[in-house]
Amino acid sequence: MSERPLDVLIVEDEVLLATELEFLVEEVGFHSVGLAMSSDEAVALACDLHPDLALVDVHLRDGPTGVEVARTIHDDCGGVALFMTANVKRLPDDFAGACGVIGKPYSEHGVKTALSYLTVCLREGHAPGPPPVGLELSPAYAERWGLSSALHRAG
Amino acid sequence: MTDILRSERAAEELAAGHGVGDPFAAAIRAVRMAMIVTDAHQPDNPIIFANDAFLDLTGYSRDEVIGRNCRFLQGPGTDPATVATLRRAVADGQDLTIDILNYRKDGSTFWNALNLSPVRGESGRIDYFFGSQLNISDKKRVEFELGDARDRLEAAVEARTADLTQALQQKTALLHEVDHRVKNNLQLISSLLLLQNRRVTDPAVKNSLRGMLERVSAIATVHRRLFQSDDVERFDVSAFVRDLVSDMMGTARREDIKVRLDLERVDIAASKAAPLALVISELFSNALRHAFPPEAMNGREGEIFVGIARQGDNFRIEITDNGVQLENSASSGGFGLTIVQLLCQQLKARSETTPADPGTRVVVHLPINGGHH
Repeated sequence: MSERPLDVLIVEDEVLLATELEFLVEEVGFHSVGLAMSSDEAVALACDLHPDLALVDVHLRDGPTGVEVARTIHDDCGGVALFMTANVKRLPDDFAGACGVIGKPYSEHGVKTALSYLTVCLREGHAPGPPPVGLELSPAYAERWGLSSALHRAG
Repeated sequence: MTDILRSERAAEELAAGHGVGDPFAAAIRAVRMAMIVTDAHQPDNPIIFANDAFLDLTGYSRDEVIGRNCRFLQGPGTDPATVATLRRAVADGQDLTIDILNYRKDGSTFWNALNLSPVRGESGRIDYFFGSQLNISDKKRVEFELGDARDRLEAAVEARTADLTQALQQKTALLHEVDHRVKNNLQLISSLLLLQNRRVTDPAVKNSLRGMLERVSAIATVHRRLFQSDDVERFDVSAFVRDLVSDMMGTARREDIKVRLDLERVDIAASKAAPLALVISELFSNALRHAFPPEAMNGREGEIFVGIARQGDNFRIEITDNGVQLENSASSGGFGLTIVQLLCQQLKARSETTPADPGTRVVVHLPINGGHH
C-alpha cells in the first residue's frame, strides 16, 4: 500500500508499557512519532506533531491528568485521542472528546485488533463493523463512524 | 365599690345558695382537684371562689386570689399562643381543655391541664366560668424526656449513618485504587514478557515465554471481567471463556481451526476465578498448540469444542479437540499439565482425559459448593 502510515503519539508514564506499546503500534502499521510521560509533554507534542491518533493513559507523571490531555487534543489540537486505562468506569460520559477506550490490562492481540479497526475508521471515516472485543467507542465517534449507539457498548 | 369588695359580694351571693348542708358545695371545697369560679359579669372576669386544692397547688392564700383575673398564674415561660387560645375561648363562651405552663407564688412552675367551662344562668347568659386545674408536671416531664431521648437517638443514628457512609466511600475509593494497581501491574508483567520475547531467539525459550504470557493474560482477563460486573464477589465463567477464546484464536492465526462453544451461564466465587481461568486457559492452549500440527492437517478443518454446563452438584467444563491424539500433551515439558493437576487439587475438582476418536476430550468437574468427595 502506498498510503503513508498513520502517526501515533503514546502518552504513558510507565516506560516499559510504553516501549512495548510502541512495538505493537509499529507492527500494526502505525508510525510512532513520540512518547509523552506528562500532560505538558503530551499537549506540546500533540499540537506540534499533529499525530493521527494519540493513545492516552489517564494516570500520568503529574497525576490523573490524561482526561484533560484528551480534551485539549480534541478541542485545541484537532487530533483524535484514544484512552488506554485501567479506570474505564471513571471516564466522563462524553469521553472528554476521545474516540474510545481500551481497558487495561489489554492483550497483545486485543490492542492490535483494536488499532487495525481504528485505522480503517480513521482512513475511511466509517467503521468496518462493530468494534472488536476490548475496544469501546465513545457515543460521538460511534455515531460519526456510522454505528448506531446501541451497538458500541458491547465490548 | 372596689373590685375586691364586689368579688366578695359575688362570692357571698354564690355561697348563699350553697350552705353548709349542700353536699355538692362540700364536695367542691374538699375535692383534691384544684377548682375556681370566676364572675363573668365583672370586668376582667375575676376569681370569686377557689377551693383549698387550688390554694395548695398555687401557694397563694385565698385573699390573694379572690378578685383577681387568673392570669397571675402565667409567667415568662408560658406559651403566648396558649394564652391567646384561652382568651378566645372565654370571649366566645366555649369549653376548653388545654395544657398550660403556670407559676406558683414562689416562682416555681407546674404544667396545668386546665379545663374551662362557662356556666349559664336560666336566661342563657354566662354568669360564671368554672375552671379546674390538674398538675400534670410529672407526665410532661416524661414526655419531654422521651422527646429528648428520641432527639438524641435520632441525632446519634444520623451521625452514625454519616460515619458509615463516609467509611463506605473510603472503602470504595480504596477498592478502585487497588483494582487500578492490580490491572496496571498485570499490564506491566505482560509488557515485560512481551519485551523479552522480542529479544530471545531460542524457540524453546520463546515457547516458555509465550506460555507464561498466556497465563498472565488469563489472570488479566479475570481481573478485567471481575471489576466490569457490578458484583465483584461472583465470576461469570462463560463470559471469561468467550474473551479467552477470542484472544487466543486471534493470536494463533489458525484459519484452519474453528471453535464451537456451548456455554451455559455459570457463576463461581471470585476466589476460584483465577485458578479455574488458568485451568481452562491451559487446556484450551494445549489443544490449540498441539492437537493440530499444520503438517498433519492436509486441508482438513480442525475443531475445538468448549462446553460449560451444570450437572448435578458440579459444573462440567469440557474441552474437546478432533485433532491428533495427544500422548504426552506436555506443552512445555508437561508444565501445563502439572499446572492443571495442581489447580484441580486446589479447586477440589476432578479432571478426566479420554480419547475422542479422533482427538482428545478433557472434562473438569468442579463442585458447585464445597469440596469433592
